[in-house]
Amino acid sequence: MNFSPFRRLSRRHFMSAAGAAGLGAFGVPPIFQQALAASDTTTDAADRAAQDREGPILVVVELTGGNDGLNTVVPYGDDAYYNARPRIGIPAVGLRTIDDHFGFHPSCKGLAELYDRGELAIVHGCGYDQPSFSHFISMSYWHSAAPNSGESSGWVGRAAANLSPTPRRDYIINVDERPSQAVRNAVHPALVFDQPETFRRDGVYEQQPLFDELIGDPGASQSNLAFLSRSARDARQSAMLVREAWGAYQSDVDYGINVGLAEDLRKIVALIDARMPARFYYCGYRGNSFDTHVHQVDVHARLLAYATDAIRGFVDDVDRIGRSDDVLVLVFTEFGRRVPENISLGTDHGTATPVFLAGAPVAGGQYGTPPSLTELDDGNLLHTTDFRRVYASAIGDWMGADSRAVLGGDFEPIPAVATA
Amino acid sequence: MTRTFLTVAAILGAVAIATTGNAGDRAEDTQWEGDLAPIPAAEWNYERAAHLLERAGFGGTPEDVARLAALSPEDAVSFLIDWEQVSNDHLQEFDHSGIFRTGMIEVPRSRAQAVRDARRDGEALGVKIKPGGSRPLQPVVNAFFYILNADRLEIRRLSRWWGERMVSTERPLQEKLALFWHGHFATGNVKVRDYRKMLQQLELFHAKGKSPLRDLLRGIATDPAMLVYLDAGQNVKGNPNENFAREILELFTLGPGNYTEQDIREAARAFTGWTHDPHTLAFVIDADQHDTDAKTFLGHTGNFDGYDIIDLILQEPATARFLAGKLYRYFVRDEGDEAVVDALAEQYRTSGYDTAGLLRTIFLSRDFYASASVAGQIKSPVQMVVGTYRKLGLADVAGVPDFHVATERLGQRLFEPPNVAGWAGGRAWITSATLLERGNFGRQLLFPDMFAPRSPDPLYSDTLVKVGAKVAAGAEITQATVQGESMAMEMAASDEAYNTRYASWHGRSEAMRIVKPAKNDAAQLDVLALVNGLETPEAVVDSLCRRLLRRPLAEADRQALIQFLDEQLAGASLAEAASWIREPLRLLVHLVLSTPEYQLS
Repeated sequence: MNFSPFRRLSRRHFMSAAGAAGLGAFGVPPIFQQALAASDTTTDAADRAAQDREGPILVVVELTGGNDGLNTVVPYGDDAYYNARPRIGIPAVGLRTIDDHFGFHPSCKGLAELYDRGELAIVHGCGYDQPSFSHFISMSYWHSAAPNSGESSGWVGRAAANLSPTPRRDYIINVDERPSQAVRNAVHPALVFDQPETFRRDGVYEQQPLFDELIGDPGASQSNLAFLSRSARDARQSAMLVREAWGAYQSDVDYGINVGLAEDLRKIVALIDARMPARFYYCGYRGNSFDTHVHQVDVHARLLAYATDAIRGFVDDVDRIGRSDDVLVLVFTEFGRRVPENISLGTDHGTATPVFLAGAPVAGGQYGTPPSLTELDDGNLLHTTDFRRVYASAIGDWMGADSRAVLGGDFEPIPAVATA
Repeated sequence: MTRTFLTVAAILGAVAIATTGNAGDRAEDTQWEGDLAPIPAAEWNYERAAHLLERAGFGGTPEDVARLAALSPEDAVSFLIDWEQVSNDHLQEFDHSGIFRTGMIEVPRSRAQAVRDARRDGEALGVKIKPGGSRPLQPVVNAFFYILNADRLEIRRLSRWWGERMVSTERPLQEKLALFWHGHFATGNVKVRDYRKMLQQLELFHAKGKSPLRDLLRGIATDPAMLVYLDAGQNVKGNPNENFAREILELFTLGPGNYTEQDIREAARAFTGWTHDPHTLAFVIDADQHDTDAKTFLGHTGNFDGYDIIDLILQEPATARFLAGKLYRYFVRDEGDEAVVDALAEQYRTSGYDTAGLLRTIFLSRDFYASASVAGQIKSPVQMVVGTYRKLGLADVAGVPDFHVATERLGQRLFEPPNVAGWAGGRAWITSATLLERGNFGRQLLFPDMFAPRSPDPLYSDTLVKVGAKVAAGAEITQATVQGESMAMEMAASDEAYNTRYASWHGRSEAMRIVKPAKNDAAQLDVLALVNGLETPEAVVDSLCRRLLRRPLAEADRQALIQFLDEQLAGASLAEAASWIREPLRLLVHLVLSTPEYQLS
């Protein structure tokens, strides 16, 4: 499809030049030095410095619950859309126009701004064969990137393992209460935290040395004890880095309402700015929020405003710290919703849905073929783009890993990001 | 109150404790793996009783364990399973704040809904629209935010109440099972928005947790909280909503792969019209909305209703396997022997899904006591917190640390599982952050921080505090509530008929005034009593470790603790240090609670 790859260069270049000057004047920031020290000891420090500072960063944002793609990127030029959704279809008047066929939901101010700046790629009709309508199963397929296979590792984790086959601490950071399957892999333990302020081991002065000692037995034959011991060993040092990074974070960038996603994206900016070694960040709009079975009009409008204001805020904030050339954002959900509205003024679990790529490295525009609204499988869209093609862009073109090895097959990348 | 365990233990305790060692990897333990034959009485001892109490309950004091160890294995298991024998009269009912006022039947699903209702009926939530003046809908929207926030506070009180119950009950398996079913039939108040329904569901788990599965399934399928959570109210003839039907098959009974999408649709039709009376919170079937045509479900055809669907589900061996396997993983270990789970599933199905009978087989089996089953399970946050109270002999949950806040920080909010699949459990409980936080809970319990805000109120909001200050200083409502935020928020916040942010401040303030406050008392632990009569740092460390840990510390770690206590004593003997040893002992207990080993059950 068409796309218009105009990109703003001046501000970003100005910022990165300023950032370099700042480093020259003050030397390596202290947090960066700690981050290096905290990283694994198997590689040479200089190598790591080069890799960590210059390497591309992937930020994955998950919208949990199954976002209604048709009411997000609205096909207002298609009568079939309004026929299927007489009561909850978004009127053409008020849409944020993309072209003569599509418009963003009025609440998607954030996405529309990114799109207008050429920093948003819409990949239409993403899905997979034999779709599951279960949140958990479909989300698991998007996490594993191996639908209908029972694969238990995650694509982000495998990409990290492919990029660095030796274990590295804080290489994958998952901001959440619990790790996503997407970050699971056999090499790198993901750093998972939720609240930086309380990410700390409390104890009096005399106890502190014992906390480093009482870490159990990382080599124990009881596998859960070994797991706990490794976690204990890593946790304290990572925690210090995260707290300092968050303590140093200050930004005037507007993220819209400070919902959880906005807060989590701010934490990620803070860590990127502190030069954490992480190359992969993972977060989400939590709580199955996008599961809009009932009376969805108001709630979906709110969700879209909160989520897309936050994503646009993140892209701007990354620009503020002079790192916009280094950061790609991928936004996905486990499925779209059925084409026809249901009797409760909501929508039920469906299939294909757009995936978004955002950030300065993106060649903005629309990719893939929009699915037909009339040729349906029992009320569900037939996907036109295997979602792993978007992953292939992120893994291969952007991160420079072997996407074939990570995805277990050849998926033609969506040509929306510069090749690393 | 005096706990039954303690009184009996006084007679039996000392002998049993003196004769114990930690569970070793003896040959017979390994051979027991996969063996469902009952453990012989001769093999019954303190360690195995401790394991039973740990898994069928939350663990206990050495005296609690000694009491079980003094019984036969059958009697010990019966003591836990046949809990009607044990008096529990000291438990307190939940003390309702009484947040639902006249006219407040249910919490509307949104502010917009409350406004629509009011415009249609002239009133909503028992509050009439003002006949004129500025912001005629303001009182209605205030009332919406009041009940929304009051319910949020009340569900936290309910969480604390359940926590206290788990700590003080004489029937620990009843609570452990209720916790299992809460995670299995996961229902979240964030959507239900009615703590009364959540309490009613918990009462179902308490009453029918060990009943035949059919009774429990019929209970949950007609449970108002579940009906609301899975949109049963929207499941009507002609337009079935599949949410409940899908989850009952996928997550509650058969498990994925044992039914088709068509089965889901047909089952949904069978459940059409199942709803509840919002006034009485009783289950009702709306006959007009129930689809009475024939359905074809799992190969059977008939005019099925929801009860028929449940009976058909129970005919499937997959249901027995799914549930038996999940119960096994919850009570025994993550990686169950396939043959063991098959055998348990067979027993479960042929016994008419007798859950109590299944648990009896599990708790008496050699497999349950095999070394692979012992001290390898990662405790859930609630299990860890409740177990800490019980092992330290604390009969009551204090206000500081707050039970709800503590368990939430560790990743488990009661009545708010992350989604309908419940908590993933096992290693998913542990992140770098939650592992540190587990140790921090130990500190909060041993050194309650009375300077910190008491049971930090999750409704506190800087934005709203500013609104309140401006209102009190005489600002006009719009002035008091405008903030430099994004357009989207301003649009949401402004409406000539009412001011949302003002209503949010008003409603929250009122909710905090009406809802009964949480306790403020500090945890009271007599730490000296734990080590009474012990003479050396070694003995103290070993005693505390034996009380608290199911898996011994590495020798180097044990030595580090002994050295720590030794340094704290500064040359004094324990007897000489008696007047000031409490503080060092508390530090020591905190250290033990911080170890990786303590996270294992």
